[in-house]
Amino acid sequence: MHPIASGAMSPYHAGVFSLAVYTILVMLFIASQLFLAAWLGEKKKTEEKSRPYECGMIPSGSARFRYPVPFYKVAIFFLIFDVEGAFILTWAVVYRLMGVAGFIQMSFFIVLLLAGLFYIWKQGGLDWKEV
Amino acid sequence: MERGVEASRFESIADRVINWSRKFSLWPMFFGLSCCFVEEAAVFTSRYDLARFGAEVLRPSPRQADLLIVSGTVFKKIAPVVLRLYEQMPEPKWVISMGSCSNSGGMFDVYSVVQGVDQIIPVDVYVPGCPPRPEALLEGLVILQEKIMSERPARRVFHLGGGTQGTERPVLAEGVTKSSDPRGPGYPGTVIRGTSLLPGTLHWGNRSDLMWTPQARRAVLSESDAEVAAQLLERFGSKARLAPQSSDMLTFEVDRTSLKEVLHFLKNESSTKYRRLDDLTAIDESARRDRVWNKGLCEGTSEVGAAEALCKRQPGENYSDFTMVYQLLSFESACRVRIKTGLEAKGGEKLASTASVTDLWPSANWYEREVFDMFGIRFDGHPNLHRLLMPEWWEGHPLRKDYPGRATEMAPYTFEDARKRQPMDGMQLSTLDNKGPTGDREFFLNIGPHHVSTHGLLRCIAGLEGEQIKSLDLEIGYHHRATEKLGERQSWHQYIPYTDRNDYLAGSSLEFSYATAVETLADIKVPERAQAMRVLLAELYRLSNHLVWMATFAHDLGAMTPNFYTFAEREMILDVIELITGGRLHAEFVRIGGLAADLPEGWKEAVDKLTAIFPRRLSEYEKLLRKNPIFMARTKGIGRISLEDAISWGITGPNLRACGMAWDLRKNMPYSGYENYEFEVPTATEGDCYARYLVRVEEMRQSIKIIEQVARNMPSGRYVTEDYRYAIPRREEMLRDIETLIHHFVNVTRGMKIPVGEAYGVTEVPRGEHGYYAVSDGLGSAYRMRVRSPGFANIQALPLMATGESIADLISIIGSMDVILPDIDR
Repeated sequence: MHPIASGAMSPYHAGVFSLAVYTILVMLFIASQLFLAAWLGEKKKTEEKSRPYECGMIPSGSARFRYPVPFYKVAIFFLIFDVEGAFILTWAVVYRLMGVAGFIQMSFFIVLLLAGLFYIWKQGGLDWKEV
Repeated sequence: MERGVEASRFESIADRVINWSRKFSLWPMFFGLSCCFVEEAAVFTSRYDLARFGAEVLRPSPRQADLLIVSGTVFKKIAPVVLRLYEQMPEPKWVISMGSCSNSGGMFDVYSVVQGVDQIIPVDVYVPGCPPRPEALLEGLVILQEKIMSERPARRVFHLGGGTQGTERPVLAEGVTKSSDPRGPGYPGTVIRGTSLLPGTLHWGNRSDLMWTPQARRAVLSESDAEVAAQLLERFGSKARLAPQSSDMLTFEVDRTSLKEVLHFLKNESSTKYRRLDDLTAIDESARRDRVWNKGLCEGTSEVGAAEALCKRQPGENYSDFTMVYQLLSFESACRVRIKTGLEAKGGEKLASTASVTDLWPSANWYEREVFDMFGIRFDGHPNLHRLLMPEWWEGHPLRKDYPGRATEMAPYTFEDARKRQPMDGMQLSTLDNKGPTGDREFFLNIGPHHVSTHGLLRCIAGLEGEQIKSLDLEIGYHHRATEKLGERQSWHQYIPYTDRNDYLAGSSLEFSYATAVETLADIKVPERAQAMRVLLAELYRLSNHLVWMATFAHDLGAMTPNFYTFAEREMILDVIELITGGRLHAEFVRIGGLAADLPEGWKEAVDKLTAIFPRRLSEYEKLLRKNPIFMARTKGIGRISLEDAISWGITGPNLRACGMAWDLRKNMPYSGYENYEFEVPTATEGDCYARYLVRVEEMRQSIKIIEQVARNMPSGRYVTEDYRYAIPRREEMLRDIETLIHHFVNVTRGMKIPVGEAYGVTEVPRGEHGYYAVSDGLGSAYRMRVRSPGFANIQALPLMATGESIADLISIIGSMDVILPDIDR
């Protein structure tokens, strides 16, 4: 590693003291806000007020159950292809260095994932309503 | 001592700062009960602009609101919800009671209405009016701001004990801290005015009997009617008899035993096929004055045949205990038929029953439940015979003649009632099969009665799996204003204001229907000018209604902007209406036999100005929506209903036309001179939300066309009939001769008498076919006033459209159907 030339960056002095003061001030400020919000004002707790609001009705059934989330599947699939993007982007940066071998390897990777995508698509994995 | 002074100085400064901040940042809840809310909504839009007062952010949830504006009628069924919403609001909170109904029950002194919201929650400011104009609500808000400035909130805010903030007034108790005697205090024990008008409670005889009228109108049967009549007589012999008199349509009296066969025959086999069940209702005949009581004779015999022979009634001379009325409509021949069946009641409970016709028409489901609810008549074979409009805990059947009509005659509704009388649990009302234990994937969600997108007090109980609707069940009746019972109490003339309120966006259109019914019954000729004026008003209200629909539909789909634009044009239309009638929402301008007054000076210019501007503006607003991909994605292909289903569920109006049928009463069964105007009946074929949108927008264009033609060709002449036996005479004439003066006096005080008979009057209102079935016993008020509303039939098909769609689509579907609750619950 070459030492960084002086003047290239602003001079850095580790002002631990100022940082500590700053942190404490921020913490105090946040705490005061939270405290004021919690303490100020009249608070009355009644049975009706602590009941969940459901268009003025008393909710029926429990809220503890397996809620089907069709979005979940779509989100998971997105995540897979998101990671794929991360690989492709890094490869694009070193495209020339990797040469033809890299191109072939990457193409294989993409084709594999595409095949997976088409499979999911065909299976109806991207359909919102299918639960 | 000094510290105390310091403290109070600090307090008074803090008080002022807190009050000032609060007064200009009120957060009203998006909460409306009925008509008044429409005026409240107008306050938020551009012309009245509530934002100037710092209260423009409407909150849909009580958690985020500090101002509850109770706008509209507080019904006994909804009162527990009002109380809960109030209690779920955080401290401090304020309450404005908007409008006469909320203040005191107003004109609805009737069994289903709480006589003042102050009986269940405390109220800061009362805004009078029915409905109050938007300016009145603004003043109410200013008064509330002044009240806030007089509070001492600092001690409460800093937990010092004492101090005042929010609503501090006590909840009132009827008879202890308030009195809702309409005559004021000091009249306990005396009979309320108008009691003598009530059938069945004839204390001193009725002065209507001293008045003479010609007989009711006799309808002339058309060829197709006569053919059907002949077929019925041939097929059913003595079991089906042509009614001796009918004012409006072919009417048959049928034996109870062959009723279903007759209905089946009319639907499927007769020469004219009546495919739609137009209406189904009942009449309690026990208070008929000319009822010959020969029951003693009948009850002695045990043999069925002999009893029939003995009790053979002469039609028109006496009546059964109940009459069931089925009204069918044929699209091909554009005609109706009425089938009446007498039912005998047994025992002290007056139990009566008949066969259900739900297998012939699915739409009969709710109609029969309503009859069960209101009359206690049972239907054999009905899949789900429960109360429909009244809550489950209700006792008695309100439309029976021995049932008290007035809320002030019943035990007052109290705070404790609002605690106790909770609406039914959603799980019990749901038809979802799998009502499994926890850990299941399905769950229930109440959408409404207090919800921004249900457009009123409608409760949908959705059985959901994730976002998908597995089952949808509706609970209605939260807006039941007992308008049919009121029709039996108010005089023929006095009932007009109640008709407006059956659909608070369609104003005069409903007065128009009602007047048509009475005019058909008594054979009153309406002058041409009055007919044209009625058409003008009806079309103006159609425009105004469709503009509100357009705004709210877009709003439901997340587009706020059209709201502010269309309400501006709506104000323009209301200005024209106000110029002509003097009213905004409720014009109360139609009179039996004509209208209340002639057109004022300058009406033509005002109408012309509107018709010149409107089409261009409409195109602009359309662009806002049709170029919006979100709007298109959320309406196209959503909430589809087939034409077949639409007919069998009795859907009318634009919702029917969106399924591809060009059926519009203005065209197919013209009335009031509609045949003289050139206009088209817009249709669409898809039957989805977008189709319903297209039809309504095109209808606005056609309405403008009609308005132009009416304005151009307004006939001269009288605005009210010359037949002053039935009409309120013109003032100039009343002051001129004694005859007219007498008519004026009689018709204004005790009211006109309408001859014995019955008639159905219907017009095409913005939502579909809204009709009144008026039955007269020859008195000053109706014997039975049945309101056939389009919304009741339309909304019954909602589960059909929404099941299987996602929950967001439900909002789109409700928005596209243009529902309004007073016409569903009546």
